[in-house]
Amino acid sequence: MILAILPVIPLIGVLFLLFKRGRFINIPLITSAVVLVFGVCGLQSVFEGIPLNYTVPLPGPVAPNFHADSLSAIFVLAAGFIWSVVSIYVPEYMEQEGRTKVFELCSLLTLSAVLGVFLAGDLFTLLLFFELMTVSSFFWVIHRGNKEAIRAGYFYLFYSIVGGLFLALGIVFMGTATDIMPIIGSGPVNPLNSKAFTWSIVLLIIGFGIKAGMVPLHLWLPHAHSVAPAPGSALLSGLLIKVGAYGLIRVGEFAGWGTYLQGGVSWLGSGLAVLGTCTMLVGVLAALVQSDAKRLLAYHSISQIGYIILGLGIGLYLGPDGGLGLIGSIYHIVNHTLFKAALFLGVGIIYIGTNETNLYKLGGLWRRFPLTALFMLIAVLGITGAPGLNGYASKTLLHHAVSHAAENGPQWIIWSERLFLLVGVGTATSFIKLYYLIFLGKPAKVKVNENKSFGMNLAMGLLAAVMIVIGFKPEIFASIAAAPAAQVLGMKNAAATLESLSFWNPSDVLSMIITLAIGGLTCWLGFRSGAFHWHIPAWLTLEGIGKLTGMSILFIWRRGAEWYGSIVATAGRASGNLRARLFKYFRRFDKSRSGNIGKINLTGISADAALLITVLMFLIVWYAFIVK
Amino acid sequence: MLSLVIALFSGAVGGLVVAMIPETKNRLRNYIVLLFAASSAFFTWHTALKVFAGERVRVAGELGGLAFSIDPDPLGAVFGLIASTLWLFTAVYSFGYMAGKHKQRTFFTFFLMSLTMTLGVAFSGNLVALYLFYELLTFATYPLVIHERSAEAMKAGTKYILYSLSGAGAILIAIIFTYAWSGKLDFSSGPMLANSLGPGLNWLLMLFIGGFGVKAAIMPLHRWLPAAMAAPTPVSALLHAVAVVYSGVYGILRTVYSVFGHELIGQLEIRYILPWTAAITIVAGIVIAARQDVLKRRLAYQTVSHLSYILLGAFTLNAWGLAGAIFHMISYSTLKITLFFCAGIISEQTGVIKVSKIGGIGRLLPKTMAAFSIATMGMIGMLPLNTFWGKYYLMKGSVEAGKWPLAVVLIISGILNAICFVPAIVNAFNRVSTKTCEEKGSRVSLMLAPTLALVMIALFIGLMPGIIWPGVEAVVNWFY
Repeated sequence: MILAILPVIPLIGVLFLLFKRGRFINIPLITSAVVLVFGVCGLQSVFEGIPLNYTVPLPGPVAPNFHADSLSAIFVLAAGFIWSVVSIYVPEYMEQEGRTKVFELCSLLTLSAVLGVFLAGDLFTLLLFFELMTVSSFFWVIHRGNKEAIRAGYFYLFYSIVGGLFLALGIVFMGTATDIMPIIGSGPVNPLNSKAFTWSIVLLIIGFGIKAGMVPLHLWLPHAHSVAPAPGSALLSGLLIKVGAYGLIRVGEFAGWGTYLQGGVSWLGSGLAVLGTCTMLVGVLAALVQSDAKRLLAYHSISQIGYIILGLGIGLYLGPDGGLGLIGSIYHIVNHTLFKAALFLGVGIIYIGTNETNLYKLGGLWRRFPLTALFMLIAVLGITGAPGLNGYASKTLLHHAVSHAAENGPQWIIWSERLFLLVGVGTATSFIKLYYLIFLGKPAKVKVNENKSFGMNLAMGLLAAVMIVIGFKPEIFASIAAAPAAQVLGMKNAAATLESLSFWNPSDVLSMIITLAIGGLTCWLGFRSGAFHWHIPAWLTLEGIGKLTGMSILFIWRRGAEWYGSIVATAGRASGNLRARLFKYFRRFDKSRSGNIGKINLTGISADAALLITVLMFLIVWYAFIVK
Repeated sequence: MLSLVIALFSGAVGGLVVAMIPETKNRLRNYIVLLFAASSAFFTWHTALKVFAGERVRVAGELGGLAFSIDPDPLGAVFGLIASTLWLFTAVYSFGYMAGKHKQRTFFTFFLMSLTMTLGVAFSGNLVALYLFYELLTFATYPLVIHERSAEAMKAGTKYILYSLSGAGAILIAIIFTYAWSGKLDFSSGPMLANSLGPGLNWLLMLFIGGFGVKAAIMPLHRWLPAAMAAPTPVSALLHAVAVVYSGVYGILRTVYSVFGHELIGQLEIRYILPWTAAITIVAGIVIAARQDVLKRRLAYQTVSHLSYILLGAFTLNAWGLAGAIFHMISYSTLKITLFFCAGIISEQTGVIKVSKIGGIGRLLPKTMAAFSIATMGMIGMLPLNTFWGKYYLMKGSVEAGKWPLAVVLIISGILNAICFVPAIVNAFNRVSTKTCEEKGSRVSLMLAPTLALVMIALFIGLMPGIIWPGVEAVVNWFY
């Protein structure tokens, strides 16, 4: 019952918001706090290892069905927390952007949809909330209403619609592959038709991959995440792409966590690992040459999602030994939610203060925004994986998983591990660049508006505090939340693997510090050589290739349309001629003079007679020769 | 049995009554129209529920032979329900739309008469009755198409009547052959041609589908439909998006399941071609729609595309495909009428009939455009709307039949639908219009109320597809 109530709470909040009179009650904050409290209390039994189930009693072939296990609980609580924090931030920020109410409405609707996705018990319910999420978050993207925002909005909407349709088709194939539609949380599917099952998995991965920003389906992400208002970006980057990751984990569940994948889906683990590697590499390389702070952060979302997908892939690839990959991914999802939200919120504060997000026009702002600078430093250290902060924990877990796979795996996994380290260096480089250009460096010549930003800094502070707590005690979250989730999903010996691992292994700490140092060096080299200003040639980017393809398709289409038009015109002329001739011909029948047989005058009816004879002839021929 | 007669003839009687009311007495006429439409809808529900429960409701004719027979089975009952229920909504909308316009008496007379013809098609128990009502429907709706009496409307009327009559001619020939070969014309006794197998069957099926395909707007027989958009909007909404075109679709469903039977068609060579005719119409229709600037024409081409969804379901020749076809028939009709209603409100309130001029309308007419957006989401096939389920079962049918490319065609069509309408909607809400108008006054609320009610119904069915499932199940069980 609580499962069906949770997504409804924000809808009640929407009603309150619609009829609100006073300006000083922060309804989104109250609503998300209520969600958080209800989540903590209601999902108590879930943490003790007993999944909850609730089916809405409706007649017919499909009824909405809700299910919560540890994995859903982690996501639900993360959503409740991040929404509360962002709601503290929203009023002060949106005062500058305007149309606060619309933003808050969409925000609550999206919260409802997100909770629904996490608590969904079957694929239909999941898809229902998934589509709602697409529509409600679309309004964040187009909030500013300018040309750029609309363009990004189209990108976002069309990719999401395509994703939703692919999910629908995936569900169709899933229904064909099995006799009963599989329930979320029921473990591996035993397909009757393994080919259909394979296709279903492929389609579901495409559908969720679009939402997650997986390369090569990520093109919408940098546009959408950079034009939304800062709290919107924080939620989009912090939580909404995690919905895609959540979906991928559930797809992995259908294939079977903790088992060596067989049959039509044996490629799944390695496939996801390769996609994940590409995703993190593409994201980080593109991020290095960005000059806009929000775009840089958006590209890093792609890169960090790459880490998560890589972890999932390794987890599936290693089968029963892949516990670390899965735990690392879940852990990284939560961590990324925290620091990416904090980073976007921080950039938002700078934007409100200076009306600028171009890095090269900012500088030396730590004096004007000391608190923001401090919290941003924590978030930056978090995302680069500095020891003592939360990013370190999950990246260590993922690195252990990857190197474990590389030890006795094929060549490509070894490359995966090398690239993993390289991406770490790239992340460090671009975040040192970001931090240096905004807060250190030469003081900028921008005008700084004075305005109150207590709530905004408070929100960031909350996120930073959680990051520090996780950073100092990394094993707590791993053992009380991530490991049970992995075990529920099917990784039987996940907890045991985790216990045998120490987070503060000197070699891990050292390698992270070395990564940071190399990152700093690269950043310095980048500034000296001007490499950060390099523009990627259009033909090298996916977008450029897409544009070229689109233009050639358009060209072919136009040519085709021209030909079609000329053919139609010719046919029209020909048929016109034919019609005129036939008409003339039949007229002759009508005007025939000598139609007398004896005393019977046939004038005027000869046309009908001819028609009759023709039909009769046809029928005679038909019956005599064709129909046997 | 009595309820069936009342349901069927309410329209015709009502039409005669309306014809006797003087032109000036608008209020009285509206009440009478509402009364007859409501009685027809009520008794159709009454009959249909009986039919779904498995009861036989026959009115006339002996079994076999050329006698005229009214004998609804679940498929007919579903079509009858769609038509008569939506007629009621459209009647209310027309009161608002036609207020202050000329020749209301003619309009409502033929509007009610065509209800009887449509229900006759739905409830017919053999091919004779089906053919008769099918022809009468053409004649009853012709005055509605040429209602404006403009040059464009007259031309559209001529086109409409020529296309429809040629189609009906083809059907007549096909019916004669069917009777000659099988000696049966009744729907109730299983597929007529079930036991005959010959080289002529492919051609006969083509003749049937070519004939009914005119009204079902299969490409290239669709040209009359966009032309018929010269009619007043309620006519475009009800007749040219639902009733008339559905009578063609219904005829094809009958051909496939009652005349030939899916098992027989499964042995004919033509089965390879049929789904692809539908698939080509689906894609080509929506692509052409994207190039139209006049909103109603764009919607008309979208109709062409979506009608073939239903045919696709029938041509996959399995139970899931048929379920999808019936589901889509029900759900698509609610949303398409909504879209046309919105187009009508927009053109009446602001004078805008082109998509390129739609910028800013969303701020002037927020409720209308909201309904339009939700209906568009349904056309794309997004979930809270009922059309998702139709699409889902259609895709399931295609995949189960081993024809997965058809499912991909449906996906592509969904994307094209989005390309076709989403930019217009975003413009409507984002730009600022120079025009001024409001959604106020009794006339607008008469138009707006049915629109919003239909959207609500669509959302409701979408969230609870179980509501209409018994009807769908009854049809599928009837034929499988």
